[in-house]
Amino acid sequence: MATHLSRTFVLRKLHQLSGIVPLGIFLLEHFYTNSKAIDGPAAFNKAVDDLQSIPYILFVEIGGIFIPLIYHAVYGLVITMEARPNNLNYPYPRNWFYLIQRITGVVLFFFIAFHVLNFRFGMIPGLNRISVAHRPDLAFDIVSGEFRLLPIFLIYMVGITATVWHFANGIWLFMVDWGITIGERAQRLTGYACIAFGIVLLLVGINAAVAFIRPGGILGGLL
Amino acid sequence: MTATQSSSHSSSVTRPAKQLPKSVEIHIRRRANPDSPQYWERFAIPYRPNLNIISCLLEIQKNPVTSDGRPTTPPVWSMNCLEQVCGICTMVINGKVRQSCSALIDNLDQPIKLEPMSKFPNVRDLVVDRSQMFDHLKRIHAWIELDGTHDLGPGPRMDQDDVQERYAYSRCMTCGCCLEACPQYDGDNYIGPQAIAQVRLFNMHPTGKMTRDERLEALLQEDGITNCGNAQNCVQVCPMNIPLTRAIYEENREAVVHGLFGWLKK
Repeated sequence: MATHLSRTFVLRKLHQLSGIVPLGIFLLEHFYTNSKAIDGPAAFNKAVDDLQSIPYILFVEIGGIFIPLIYHAVYGLVITMEARPNNLNYPYPRNWFYLIQRITGVVLFFFIAFHVLNFRFGMIPGLNRISVAHRPDLAFDIVSGEFRLLPIFLIYMVGITATVWHFANGIWLFMVDWGITIGERAQRLTGYACIAFGIVLLLVGINAAVAFIRPGGILGGLL
Repeated sequence: MTATQSSSHSSSVTRPAKQLPKSVEIHIRRRANPDSPQYWERFAIPYRPNLNIISCLLEIQKNPVTSDGRPTTPPVWSMNCLEQVCGICTMVINGKVRQSCSALIDNLDQPIKLEPMSKFPNVRDLVVDRSQMFDHLKRIHAWIELDGTHDLGPGPRMDQDDVQERYAYSRCMTCGCCLEACPQYDGDNYIGPQAIAQVRLFNMHPTGKMTRDERLEALLQEDGITNCGNAQNCVQVCPMNIPLTRAIYEENREAVVHGLFGWLKK
């Protein structure tokens, strides 16, 4: 018997999948490129230049990033609107994770909109009018100049933390939603694995951001 | 050092017996009929040991006078088995959903607040209409198809592990705790953990498996299994300790393998 898939079922499955592939994969690539800043401005600028030389870059960027990103963000807001949080009466860890996943999602909606307009398109008047993608030779200096402004740096710290939480918990959610993780013990063990992965990813993300204002990152001069 | 020790020792000896309350203060969120607004009423009844919510309600019913001395209508609630196996006396007690028969006054903070479940139509006072859960059971075919009334012989043998797991799901008493505590369930927009666990129960049965796709079909609808938000309150509040999240994630796998990727076998 053929089963009929409802619209909601397909949209939810696409939302869950898009968070891992391509968005999660892109996030890892993004942190990798950012981490090039640890080796200095020249290494980072070269990494940005290399990305621009990817064949079919326009289609990769539109199909692999912008469309999934906009879909995940907008449908994520639709899902968030359905939530009826009850954490004070039912203060269990997973219930807090449920709420935090939605709060970080809303934070990321605004943070990523700002981040993309700022660096990818250079469309934030009074802050930056140059697209980093179009001027790889200036990439490090544009980012570095902004990160020296404390409010901007703090916005990025909040944004990176929210991103890493949303992704690390999102991997766990994907595994249960797609029936990969099932039993209580497996839920617990994959939960610990996601927390460990999130901590490592957070340190990598923050260290890369620090590398734009302190040569070599947090441990600059020590390693 | 010696002085401290002796003083703490003497204080533990002279500590007075645990102060027992003289009365039990109960606030009830009431409603006269389905169309009228809700309101709170306060009651106080004499304390005695080992009271539960039901015995307090019976006490109030005998003499329905509020704690400020105003006569009122006797509060209405549902009850039946009084041993936490029928599920009908489920209500929200001090903010948490549970059965009122097994809620002992000695374990509750006073004043005790009683409210009807908020996710079901409130008929009167603490009584709700839970028929939407029975509609879910009909939609997921929560039964085994039997062809005729003649003797079919012994049923197919089942693995002991499957028997154990099915037993856990079979304990569901359709009380509604999981739906009440679910932050995704509101206005019957989601088929919910209760029905999903029953899909698992009947899809694990060797004969029930034959109609698996019919049950799966119900889980793939607009209000189906993907409405789960993984807050996992259901498994925390379930009074029968049913592994509800396990059932949901098993059905997620069935939904992906047979629903999403079923066409790859055609």
